[in-house]
Amino acid sequence: MKKTILAASLTAAVTGGVAQVSNAADLAFAAYLFDDKFTTILRNGAEAYAEANGHTMIQLDANNDQGRQIDQINNLIANGIDAVIIQAVDSTAVQPMTQALKDAGIPAVFVNRKPVPIEQLDGGPFAYVASNEIESGTLQTFAMCNQLRAEGKSDGARGYLLMGQLTNEAAIQRTADAEQVMGLDMCNFMELVAPKTTGEWQRTKAQDIMTNWLSTGDPFDFVIANNDEMALGAIQAMKAAGISMDSVVVGGVDATDDALAAMKGGDLDVTVFQNAAAQGAGAVDTAAKLIAGEKVSREVYIPFELVSMDNIDQYLDRNK
Amino acid sequence: MSASQHGLGGLKYDPKKRHRPPELNVFFALILIVGAFEVLGRLFVGDSFLFNTRDRVDTLFNEPRLKIIVLQVAIIGIIALGVTQVIISGGIDLSSGSIVGAVAMIATAFAQASVNQYGMDNLKPILGEAYLNLPLIVPIVVGLFAGLVAGVVNGALIAYAKIPPFIATLGMMLFARGVANWTTKGVPISYLQESYAEIGAGMNPVFIFIALAVLMHFLLRYTKYGKHTYAIGSNEQAARMSGIEVERLKVLIYAIAGILSAVAAIVMSSKALTGQSGMGLMYELDAIAMAVIGGVSLAGGRGSILGTCIGALIYGVIISGFTFLKLDAFYQEMAKGAIIVGAVVLDQWRARKQAAKS
Repeated sequence: MKKTILAASLTAAVTGGVAQVSNAADLAFAAYLFDDKFTTILRNGAEAYAEANGHTMIQLDANNDQGRQIDQINNLIANGIDAVIIQAVDSTAVQPMTQALKDAGIPAVFVNRKPVPIEQLDGGPFAYVASNEIESGTLQTFAMCNQLRAEGKSDGARGYLLMGQLTNEAAIQRTADAEQVMGLDMCNFMELVAPKTTGEWQRTKAQDIMTNWLSTGDPFDFVIANNDEMALGAIQAMKAAGISMDSVVVGGVDATDDALAAMKGGDLDVTVFQNAAAQGAGAVDTAAKLIAGEKVSREVYIPFELVSMDNIDQYLDRNK
Repeated sequence: MSASQHGLGGLKYDPKKRHRPPELNVFFALILIVGAFEVLGRLFVGDSFLFNTRDRVDTLFNEPRLKIIVLQVAIIGIIALGVTQVIISGGIDLSSGSIVGAVAMIATAFAQASVNQYGMDNLKPILGEAYLNLPLIVPIVVGLFAGLVAGVVNGALIAYAKIPPFIATLGMMLFARGVANWTTKGVPISYLQESYAEIGAGMNPVFIFIALAVLMHFLLRYTKYGKHTYAIGSNEQAARMSGIEVERLKVLIYAIAGILSAVAAIVMSSKALTGQSGMGLMYELDAIAMAVIGGVSLAGGRGSILGTCIGALIYGVIISGFTFLKLDAFYQEMAKGAIIVGAVVLDQWRARKQAAKS
């Protein structure tokens, strides 16, 4: 059952929620924007987990408006709620919310979007639940390293690295992690042929960059891309140049529909899945612990999941 | 005083006063840049930029590199053709990149197939089952029509509502990007038909670019439309006095620019096998830069399609050259910026020298 309601009918819903189970809690999920694919999977995951554990949960849409989200939280506090789960509109401006929640002594779990600075969660019944960006690039490159080893290329593999938009933290983090893996004893046979280049997350940019790389005629064994779109662009460029995709290990991040299709078709070798539903469930679980007064670490991380040919089938409909 | 003055009213042919076509200067610049990469390559990378140094000795040139030089600028080049005539008419078009995004989404929505290239079923058609596997002509016509509408709106706002081109097309830039994002709420459109994918496959973008460049060159050089475009760009009042229907012409100019942006969108989404709302972001500036490098004057009335094509080539050579030298992409951006400003400075300097001579 969907309990999506508007802020206007908030009071009725909150006071009307009658606890059925002894440890059942009244929860609220304050999303930054309902109309977002990732957020939808996230809050559906939270909803399902809450229902399965006998909690009631209402969902609120801030419609990407920071002011509205603050009003929603204050309304919840005024009407009485056991705990709130917040996907912040502006993660650098959550201080008004944490202050109000702290004063009222209401536990809060920030999900998916990391409050800046994270220290403001100390001293209150607060936690942050998300996936740790450090994992995605590491998982990806390490899996590629293993595959190259399995293909007998451990005496030296050469390749390229496509970075995302450099103003974006994920691009910098994933690139740094990929480089770190390539520095490990086990994987330092991987070597970049050309300087890492930004494809700005875009398929078409990556396509052109890859074609330029191909024009140098240098032999190569792998292409690391900070996201799936760029990996797909590189694949399209290589296929256009008549390169067999069996001879190149290509890795992306995101596990988008197109990427999974390309993996199914044998073109893409590695991608990484950010489990939105598990983040939602983890947020509800953490909120329940905070209500019960259990000790919870400030940052709770839901692991990224590596997707490869071996386990792709269980991911094919996860984005839907 | 020599006798040859007689009968010429005191005018004498002086080869020193003959104007060199400005395209020639741009072309020299292109040769110079290519030469620089060739020399730098031999010095620092130990490889040739242009020529084939690989074991495959069947070709003289490094063909893959020559191909990508043109291929990577062909799509923005198509937009630049439209932008060139807009600038020559004394206007500016900031909306072309966003029109690419909007048309890419609209056209690909009509170009979906029931299975993808890997044989997987399309479970979520954007427009519903009834709109799958349509004939190729449908996405093309719908896409071009969307571009035409955007262009006509631009033109009408400028010609009849008398809004400055900068503002009118700035409005369209935001509006069209909004349309692009609204179409599917940001979800990319995949599962495109094979026939649609053919449009931008291989070197097709280049052939389409060349064909359109020839057409636009002919239009601007040899038709009334072209001559009137130059006329209103040089002096709108004079053009109006001499009987040119300035308003109608302006609508036509922006309409053609809109259609060319739509062509670029179709080629691009076909090449990438996907429609994405972020497509064409900032392309308007790249297209304007290509025209400006090619000698098109932002003051209007001056420039040519040929110049813009050479400007596009310079762009392509720089991108490929920096990759060839294994330099980071940051330097590329810096070089692009320097070359745009340099091109205009040289152009101004040349114009002043010419003015002083005559």
